[in-house]
Amino acid sequence: MATGVDQAVGMSLVVFSLLLFTYYSVWVIILPFVDSDHILHMYFLPREYSVILPGIAAVILLLCIGAFTAVIMWKNRKPKKVD
Amino acid sequence: MLLSSSLFSGFSPEIPAPAFIMTKLLEWLFGVSVVGAAWALVSFDLLDLSLPQTYREVAWPMPLYLLVSFGCYSLATVGYRVATFNDCDEASNELQEQIKEAKEDLRKKGLKM
Repeated sequence: MATGVDQAVGMSLVVFSLLLFTYYSVWVIILPFVDSDHILHMYFLPREYSVILPGIAAVILLLCIGAFTAVIMWKNRKPKKVD
Repeated sequence: MLLSSSLFSGFSPEIPAPAFIMTKLLEWLFGVSVVGAAWALVSFDLLDLSLPQTYREVAWPMPLYLLVSFGCYSLATVGYRVATFNDCDEASNELQEQIKEAKEDLRKKGLKM
């Protein structure tokens, strides 16, 4: 069975993704329809960053996946050379 | 589709004529191109529809928004499955039972273990 730690981690993942989705939806979809001097704009970065930040995140993610794959393949290739 | 292919294959009995059946790839490409065309129409105002600037501002980052939504959904699914991970007690018992049966059967047939 899932232990308490598993449940905490899983539920925090769910909550984090829901929060991220809500925040990003408000930022991208609702904010252009709000007047630019409204107080809601105080809580969000300028609109350019709604594209730049996910782009940076995607690049970092791809780099991590690439590094992981490279490390795994490199580790798996070593024993074959010994044989 | 089947009817048309059988009709057209009458011309050459040896080689069946290629019937026009949409493969999954074609379906996906078609759908993606339709959505992409609609997106380009709205966000770059190709037809001079004189849409309000706000609509174009919303439509422009839509691909990225869909990607982020998909990422959030994936993360939530993984988290939910981690939280509700369960043991399969019944399956485990069944498997143990079957192992016992198999051992018994093999012993009867003279296999030493």
